[in-house]
Formats: sequence, structure tokens, C-alpha cells
Amino acid sequence: MSIESLDELLEFHWMMDMLQTVDVGIVVFDREFKIKVWNGFMESHSGLLPSDVRLKSLFSLYPGIKKDWFAQKCRPVFELKTRTFITWEQRPYLFKFPNYRPITGTEPFMYQNITLSPLVSANGKVDNISMMIYDMTDVAGSKKQLESLQVLRSEEEERINNG
Amino acid sequence: MFSVLVCDDSSVARKQVAKCLPQDWHVSVHFAKHGREALNQLDQGKGDLLLLDLNMPILDGYETLQAINDLNLNTKVIVISGDIQPEANERVRKLGAIDFIKKPVNGEILRETLVKHNLMAGEENQEIEPESLDQDIRDCYQEITNIAMGRAGDHLARIMDVFVKLPIPNVNLIEVSELHMMLSDIETHERVTAVCQGFLGAGVSGEALCILSDSSFSDVARILKVTEEVDDQIQLEMVMDAASILIGTCLTALGEQMDLHFSQGHPVVLGQHQSVNDLIALNKVKWRRTLAIEISYGLEGYNVHCDLILLFTEESMTTMNSKLAHLLEDD
Repeated sequence: MSIESLDELLEFHWMMDMLQTVDVGIVVFDREFKIKVWNGFMESHSGLLPSDVRLKSLFSLYPGIKKDWFAQKCRPVFELKTRTFITWEQRPYLFKFPNYRPITGTEPFMYQNITLSPLVSANGKVDNISMMIYDMTDVAGSKKQLESLQVLRSEEEERINNG
Repeated sequence: MFSVLVCDDSSVARKQVAKCLPQDWHVSVHFAKHGREALNQLDQGKGDLLLLDLNMPILDGYETLQAINDLNLNTKVIVISGDIQPEANERVRKLGAIDFIKKPVNGEILRETLVKHNLMAGEENQEIEPESLDQDIRDCYQEITNIAMGRAGDHLARIMDVFVKLPIPNVNLIEVSELHMMLSDIETHERVTAVCQGFLGAGVSGEALCILSDSSFSDVARILKVTEEVDDQIQLEMVMDAASILIGTCLTALGEQMDLHFSQGHPVVLGQHQSVNDLIALNKVKWRRTLAIEISYGLEGYNVHCDLILLFTEESMTTMNSKLAHLLEDD
């Protein structure tokens, strides 16, 4: 093996390591929604090993995800090569994971922002989607607190005005 | 919100006064045809400020001022009248009017008067000379937007299986106050749901706003064959779906023409069922001027209005202009 190809191999190795350890969930799946990549974040939070999920359908692993709904989100990604997004405000989570902070966290589960991004194959078609899962629990918690304070304030105001 | 009541028996005069109100002053404007109507509206709290004519049928200006005193109504009155005799001026001031403006009213004087009486707090003349966009550059932006918008429309049409009416994109260099106006213009008296998304490419950055009017939802639900009841959750889904497609394809197509790749941040929900003014009221001015590209999509045969607004930072224009130099040089 030449030095260059060894270097490339080593580089590939640490790049894979980076994908594995980044604190964002990364899942790659194909047009049949069969899982091809399941990184460390997903493994830790779901308790499922990459070997447990490989080439299994997303819907068989997570029956809570409605197929029609999710397929509709993926359609523009496959067909138009655009990204689509799902916010926690729209749907609190796609994968029901426990809170990252089990002791001091206020929310029972992890709120998630999801990005669906096209992966263009060598033939120019999108055969796979890379899905990124971001932990939004802190943001969601703060927003809920703020809203409840606003409600309290308006109730207070009403009481003062009526009293 | 501060409310202004314009009372005049002539509809031309009412409109003229309303038009002269400073455009960066965010107030709700109400109208009355004579003093009696004005008193009714004041009673309902529609008039922190009353702009009052003197000669009117039923109840004239003097009688109205008298009634305001008798009823102890809490309003400030500025008289706007063609009767400019010193006597008239003196009489209305005795009756409690804070100022007197002669007809026909002009915007400058009205603004000065409002500032003088502290009715427009902190909004004194900080007007910046408006700078218009060079015609060639505008044409150029308009052209690349046309292409991008066409592609976004086509994508939306294919996903939703509808015919998308393509408008002419509006390209302008605008000030903060004008953004308010532009947004208010989009849906007067209508409630909207909006999503905004930041984007960033080498040297070019900005934000995309996708605004769907609330009245569109029932039709959008029909197009998307949503069978459930259209609640807030479903509405948010629809806006997010439309925004993903429109913003995504538009940016990709714009990027391709400028040889740029845009990264997109995660979209943020700006608010559901808010009035457009509230949407940006939260975001107090951090910038002065922005390049705004405004595209209003409609769907044929449906009551659906969706506005896509791309706002580029002023600095982005340097990069954009150099990227588009090949288009500009032609003539």
C-alpha cells in the first residue's frame, strides 16, 4: 500500500470518528427509508446499536412516526433536492429520547429540530437523505416558561383592571 | 396601539389627513364624518389623538371640543381647519385643543406638530436620505430573481399539483421603516403566520421570510388533502412545508446564478396569527437598510397567498454585484 493511500485511509478514519462523536444526531436512509448510518448520538440516546438498525425500516423501529406524514416531508428532498425542516414547535420530537440532563432537566423528553438534507449520488439523483437531529430541549423549556409568565401577567393585569 | 381619529365631513379631506400621517408612526387610524360620530368613537377608546375639522354638519368642531370637555373624555385634539382666522385659533385653544394646523395639511407640518407635542416619542427627524438602487443593478437582481422564483414556483406546483401564478418580483433597497410598511401592505387587516430562516454564503447573508395569510389555510389544507381538523399544529406544518420548498429552491437557484452555495439555518416560527406589525415590532432596529426582494405567490383557483421576502444585508450587495458583473457589463 502506498503512503498516499494509507494517509487517505487514516483521514477517512478520523472523519468517520468525527461523524460518530459529533453531538448532533445523524441518520442516513434511502428511498425505502432503510437506515444506512446511525451515529454515536443516535446510539447513545436510543440505546440501539448501528448493527441493530442497519437496513431496517425507520417505521418498523419507530412505529410512532407516521409513514405518510414523514414521506411527505421527504418528497421534496428526493425530488427537488431541497432541504426540509421540522421544528420542535411543530412536532416536539421525532424520536422519543429521554432528556439529556436526567437530573436537573425540567422536560421529560428531548425536544428536537430536524433537518432533512439530500445526498446526491454519483448519477446526480438523490438516493439517500441525511437527517440531522438537534437537541432543542433548553430552548423549548425557556419558551414554555416565558409563555407561562406572560399568561400570569395578563391574568394579573385583568384582575387589576376589574378590581 | 396608539389610535388616531380623523374627523372631517369631507372624505377627500379625511383621506388626505390620513395620508399625511408619518409613515413610520405605527398607529391605528379611525374616521368620523362629524362630531357626533367622533364622540361615539372616542367613547369606545378609538382616539388617543383627535384630528378635528371645524366646519361640519350635525356637531361642528367647537361643539365637539365643548362636548369633550363636558364628558371629560381623555383625548388630545389637534384642529385641522381651513378657517385660519386668529379668532378661530384662539377659540379652539381655549376649548382645549393643543394645536391648530391650517388646511390643506402637509406631512412635514403634521410631523413637526406631533413631535412638538411629544406624541411621537423618540421618533424625531432621524430620517436618512433615501438611496435608490441603480437601475442596471435592480434589473439584474430582478432577472436572477425571476429565474429563481420561476423554479421555486414550479417546484411548489409539482409537489402540490396546482398552477402557481408568478408575479413580478419587487426589488428595492429599503429602510427599516419601509420594511414595516411593506409588511403591513402585504396583508392589511389580515392575520398571518410566518417563518423566517437565515442564510449565508461566501460574503452574502440575509434572511428569508415566508408569510402565509391565515385565510389561506383552508384552501391549502384542501390541496394537501389534509383530512384532520385544521388546528394550529396542522397550520404550522403547512407553513413549514411551503417555506421549505419556496426558500430552499429560491436560494439554490439564486446561488447557482451567482456561483454561491447558501447554508441555511434552521427556520424559526415568528408567530402564529399575529398582525404583521407585531411580527417585526419585537425586532428593534439593528440595521439601517436592506436589499429586499419581495415575491407574492398565488395559486390559481384558490384563495391562497404566500409571500416570500428575501432580505439581504447591505454588505452582501458588494459581493453580489461582483458575482453578477458579467450580467451588468453587457450594455
